[in-house]
Amino acid sequence: MKLSLYIHADTPLHRLHPLVKVVGVFCFFVAAFTAERPLQSLALGGLIAALWWLSSAMANAWRFRWLLTMVFFMTFLVWSLFFQSREPWLSWGPIHLGEDGVSFAFATACRLTAFFAAGLLFLSTTRVEEFADALRMMGVPAKLGFAMTLAFRLVPVFVDAALSVVQAQRCRGFDFDRGNWFQRVRHYLPVIVPVFIGALRRADLMAMALEARGFQRQGQRTSFRTYGLSGLDFAALLVSLTLMIVWLCWARLTD
Amino acid sequence: MGELIGMWRNTRMVVFTALTASLYAAILIPFKVLPIIPGVTELRPANAIPVVCSFLFGPAAAWGAAIGNVIGDFFGGFGPGDLFGFWGNFLYGFLPYRTWELLTERSPVLRRPTEWLLFAAVVGLASGACALVIGWGLNLLGFVPFRVLGNIVWINNMLASLLLAPFLLAVVYPRAERGRLTYRHVLRGRQVRTGAAAYLGLTMVGCAVVVGMWLGNGLSSGSMTLPWVPEGTVGGTNALAVGWGLVPVLAVVLVGLFLL
Repeated sequence: MKLSLYIHADTPLHRLHPLVKVVGVFCFFVAAFTAERPLQSLALGGLIAALWWLSSAMANAWRFRWLLTMVFFMTFLVWSLFFQSREPWLSWGPIHLGEDGVSFAFATACRLTAFFAAGLLFLSTTRVEEFADALRMMGVPAKLGFAMTLAFRLVPVFVDAALSVVQAQRCRGFDFDRGNWFQRVRHYLPVIVPVFIGALRRADLMAMALEARGFQRQGQRTSFRTYGLSGLDFAALLVSLTLMIVWLCWARLTD
Repeated sequence: MGELIGMWRNTRMVVFTALTASLYAAILIPFKVLPIIPGVTELRPANAIPVVCSFLFGPAAAWGAAIGNVIGDFFGGFGPGDLFGFWGNFLYGFLPYRTWELLTERSPVLRRPTEWLLFAAVVGLASGACALVIGWGLNLLGFVPFRVLGNIVWINNMLASLLLAPFLLAVVYPRAERGRLTYRHVLRGRQVRTGAAAYLGLTMVGCAVVVGMWLGNGLSSGSMTLPWVPEGTVGGTNALAVGWGLVPVLAVVLVGLFLL
C-alpha cells in the first residue's frame, strides 16, 4: 500500500516555496467558497485541472477518482434532500426536494470536490516535511510540526504491522468479513492489540534517541532544509492574490 | 488544561503524541469496515484508538488524535473542514482521561457494572463534544447538515469506543503500567485539579454537549428558532442559524474546559 501522496517531479509547482503553496491553497479555498453559479464552478474546475496538468501529478487524481466522484454525488444527494427549499416539489418528514435545493446541492458538490482536488494537488506537490516547515514559518510550534512529521513517518510502519497480522490471522482461517456489523468490528481486536503493543515497545527507545540528539535543547533550531524566495515564488504569490481579488469582485458583481 | 501545553517539554509525551497520531491514522486508512455515507464517513474501528490512548498517554492523546485525524484526512479529503476535525478530535482525545480521573481513582480496566456505566458516560461525553464541534463547523461552512454529520459522528465514535476500547484497555493498559509508559508515570508530580472548579467545569461541558446536540439538530432541521439567531438566517442550509445558535453553547464548553 502506497502511503505517500507526494509525486516526485521537477515542475514549477513542485519548486515553489512551501509557504507560497499554503497561501495559494488558501486563496483557492476563499475563491471556492464564493462559487455559487455553474459558470463559476466550471471556471474553478478548469483552473484546478490546469494546475493538475502543470504539476504532472495526474496519477494521484486517477488514484482518488472514486473518492472524488463519491464526494460529489454524496454531497449532491445529501443537500438535495436536506436543503430547506422555499417551494419544494416534495416534502416528506425532514426531506424537502426543490429547485433551489438541487441548484445549491450542485454548487456545493462542485465546491467540495474542488476543495478536495486542491488539497490533493497540494499534497501531491509538497513533502510532509515541507508542509511542517510551512506551518512552523506560520508560527505553529516546531515540536507540534515534528510530532506530525514523525507520525507520518510511522504510519507505514504500523500499517505494515497491521496488514501482517491480518495476513497471519487469515492464514489461520480467520474471516474478517463474517458476521453482523457488531461482530465485524470486534474482529479487528486481534489486529489492533499486537500493533499497539509493538508501538509501546518503540516509544521508550524513540524518546531516548531523540534526547540523545538534543531534542529538548533550548535556543535557535537549525534545519537541513533551507528555503529561499525566488522570482517564481513572488510571481506565484502575485498571481494567486490577484486572481482571488478578481474572483471576489466577479462573485460580488454576479450576486 | 495547562498540562496540554506543558507536556511538550517532555520528550516521551512528544513521542506518545506521534504514536497516537500514527496508530490512529494507520488503522483509519486501510480498515474501512462498513460505509455509513459512502465518501463521507464509515463505521471506523480506529475511533477506539483516541479513547484507549487517552487513558494511556493523557494529554499527548489529545494532540495525537487531532494530528492523526488530519493525517487520515490527507487520504480522504483534505480541506477547510479539517480545522474543525482537528479540534473535535482534540476533545475526543482529551475528555476521556480527564473526566475519568476526576470521577474515579480506579484503573480504566473495567471489571464492575458501575465502571462500565461510567466508561459509557465518559465516552458518550467525549464523542458528543467531538460531534458538536465537527457538526457545527461543517454545517457553518455549508458542507454537510448538522443533523446528518453531528449524529453520525456521535454514534460512530461511541460505537467503536464501546465495542473495542474496553477490551483493548484490558490487554494494553496493564502492560503499559508495568512498563511505566502511561502519562501518570511520565508526568510524575503533576498537579491533578480535583476541586469544585473542576467539577463545575465538567458539569458545564456535560450540559453544553447535551444541549448543543439537541439545539444543533433542531436548528439544522429548521424546526427551532432562538432569540439570538438573526432573522432571515433560517431556511436553505440553516448554516448561519446553526452557526449563531450554537455559539453560546460552544462558549460554555470552552469555559468548562478551562476549569477542568
